[in-house]
Amino acid sequence: MSHQQADLGKTPGAAPSDARDGLDRRTVIKSGALVGAAAIITSKKSQVLAAGAPWPAPPVLCGTTTPTSPATRPFIDNLPVPPPALPVLLHPFPTRTANIAAGEAARAAHQRWSEFLPLIHYHMTAAPSLHKHHTDLLPSYLWTFNGHYPAPTPLNYYGVPSIVRFRNALPEQQDNPTFGVSEITVHLHNGHTPSESDGFAADFFGPGLFKDNHYPNVYAGVDEFGGIGDPREALHTLWFHDHRAASTAHNNFLGLNGMFLLYDAKDPSHELPTPGSLRLPCYYGITDIPLILADKRFCPAANGRNEVFQVIGNNPVVGDKWIVNGKIQPKMRVRRRKYRFRILATGPVKAWSLSLIRSDGTQAPVTVVAVDGNFLPSPVVISDRPLDVQVAMRYDVIIDFSAFPAGSKVYLRENAAQNVGVAVPDPAPGLPIGNVLMRFDVVNMDFLFPADTPPIPSVLAEMPDPIVPDGVFQWNFTLENGRFLINGQEFDHNRIDHVVLKGSSEEWVLANDVAAGNWNHPVHIHFEEGFIMSRRRRVSQNPDVFEDVPLLPEELGRRDVYPLPPQHRVVMRMRFRDFSGRYLIHCHNMNHEDDFMMVRWDIVDSLEELTRKRREIDERRMLAGLPPQYKHGGLV
Amino acid sequence: MNRRELFTGTAGNAACHAITPRGAQRIPNVVMRTHENRVVRFYDDLIKDRQVLINMMYATCEGYCPVITMRLVEIHEALHARMGRDLFMYSITLKPEQDDPAALKEFARMHGALLPGWTFLTGDAYDIDTLRYELFRHDHIKIDADLDAHAGQMRIINDATNRWLHVAPMASKMTVLQHIAWADPPKSFEQRLEENRRLQERIDQEVELYGYRKVI
Ligand SMILES: [Cu+2]
Repeated sequence: MSHQQADLGKTPGAAPSDARDGLDRRTVIKSGALVGAAAIITSKKSQVLAAGAPWPAPPVLCGTTTPTSPATRPFIDNLPVPPPALPVLLHPFPTRTANIAAGEAARAAHQRWSEFLPLIHYHMTAAPSLHKHHTDLLPSYLWTFNGHYPAPTPLNYYGVPSIVRFRNALPEQQDNPTFGVSEITVHLHNGHTPSESDGFAADFFGPGLFKDNHYPNVYAGVDEFGGIGDPREALHTLWFHDHRAASTAHNNFLGLNGMFLLYDAKDPSHELPTPGSLRLPCYYGITDIPLILADKRFCPAANGRNEVFQVIGNNPVVGDKWIVNGKIQPKMRVRRRKYRFRILATGPVKAWSLSLIRSDGTQAPVTVVAVDGNFLPSPVVISDRPLDVQVAMRYDVIIDFSAFPAGSKVYLRENAAQNVGVAVPDPAPGLPIGNVLMRFDVVNMDFLFPADTPPIPSVLAEMPDPIVPDGVFQWNFTLENGRFLINGQEFDHNRIDHVVLKGSSEEWVLANDVAAGNWNHPVHIHFEEGFIMSRRRRVSQNPDVFEDVPLLPEELGRRDVYPLPPQHRVVMRMRFRDFSGRYLIHCHNMNHEDDFMMVRWDIVDSLEELTRKRREIDERRMLAGLPPQYKHGGLV
Repeated sequence: MNRRELFTGTAGNAACHAITPRGAQRIPNVVMRTHENRVVRFYDDLIKDRQVLINMMYATCEGYCPVITMRLVEIHEALHARMGRDLFMYSITLKPEQDDPAALKEFARMHGALLPGWTFLTGDAYDIDTLRYELFRHDHIKIDADLDAHAGQMRIINDATNRWLHVAPMASKMTVLQHIAWADPPKSFEQRLEENRRLQERIDQEVELYGYRKVI
């Protein structure tokens, strides 16, 4: 009944609809019965289901021949900023154990629930909706959270625990013509999150169900430091995205991701001179702007749509349009003052190589203050090389537009050219239009706009105490017989490849032994931020000789994505504190991730359990004819 | 363009009933020969509207091919009630010039793989190369040019729902079975709620036993 009525050209996000109606109707349609529907009703007070009925008609895919995207004129659309997520009061009220009767997906009980009772509730509904990537394009069918691409941004504070109810209102698989899989599990990258809320890849749930992810919003080190942990472990720029095993690339390509910010006294949500504040540009959407990058390819106009191009199979295609916050080549008016941009590459695969270009073609400086959301020890000015942003990395950069005269244009350049399709003279000498990601139009300050922030402090962060590792472990990222493997195996969500003790710390060696010129892997480790201790590159194979690669200044802080080029060894250290359970390491090139270059590792609570589990791992290895992984019967 | 218009007309229906299988757009409909020396069209006769498991092998492969075949026999055993009815297994030779139907049948017999719903296939070398590329490609020239690169993988396709998955046959049996289940025909909402309830019971049992969620 509903789909025939759907208005092809209308963006459903515009009209608020009642959550109860939307879900009720949908459930009735899909299940043909009221039994289940009654169980998963949400309150009228819950956040508006922006993508509620009528659902956009499903896309008509445009064949198998890779199209060239339609022409789009540069700098037509203004840069949008994802709206802040609106807190709601969830009904049924969140519970420590899974509320199966109400349609919550199965999970273990929330850890440290009463200690970190969630004070802020959000409702994020994954549903189809239409999104216009450019004025010159017709809408495209995407999967979005609350009807927005990118998703609304939760703005959270350390010490104020929150809970996000992720509801799956995607089409049933038999009604799903896309190549995404309508089952989701959402990971907050890289929250210090208890396992059952961490979006483990195999914990996905289908349409009609929901899952409450509990975000304690504490710094790592709660047990050690008390209260809400060690403030030196703060990270401020996070993002959340679907992590569905074997379909993360497609589901993210379709739009299931967004940013997530965490504030504290040092990095508050304002620029006022409060105690401890670094006073960086920090008004969300005004002087503190997310730049969420993606690449897409569009089909020719048909049925009132320019659908995103998809092919059957496991890997989404590479785009020929560069997208910033959901728009192609947008422009942004900026005042002559400092701005903070939080750059995020959402993949599935594309890495970005960004530089800021003046209208005379020269490169202008940007100041990196944070990598992967972590403040660097001191700011790093980049003016003679591009910024390398691989999938899932975040770079917080400060650009001081007071360095440019009013009326000037400044361009964000990406090293690879996109297809614009309109003949436009080079905006700056040596800068073809295809390489321009977006444009900044500099205008004078006016008295209504927040005054400029003080100079960037020369010291941004005190690093946590050095990690003295309790053990050493190596992860080998290899390519064997066409399979992307870690330690010789593909991801098996039932198999534990390494166990660590809660409260301990380890040194991990990440090794990429593929031939030079082959794959680089942006390796992501869930749960806590780590330190790169050293980086080495193999210079000869027989004998094995490595040379030290000096760390870049932006590699000196804490991080959660570790770029691993061929023949490299990254030695990193991290701690495992406060929570236990199942966690992941994976290559964040989502095609590799979906090809299962991913492992499960567990954090356990007791030494006894550690010994038992390590023994089990070694027994399994022995049966498979492999040498034991641990010494002394599992005791390290 | 006509085809697109045709799809447009059915788009609404597709949403309410079933979606259109897209496999034909990628899977070559090549002529092949089974180990029973039957001539088949790969897409039309073997894949269309079906849930299938596909792997590549060759009879003289001594490394992991026999191990993988043993694992596939185990998988067949676990799913024998469905095999040949709504689930099919295809093992395609990577060396058609040496694996004729008789050689494949002998390989299957030796490995106890002459089982219902499991077909070994040979055909034209060029066609098989195309098939291998379309089914297992990584869009990476070094991997895709390597013949052996695909012997260690299994492709799971449910053509009726356009689900494409892959799994390493050497993953645990539990994992392989779970991956196959991920491509199962969609279940009703009630069925999924019931499965969710049962999963919760198993999680609770584990937590009771070990103090945390261990395997499930
Ligand atoms: Cu990778």
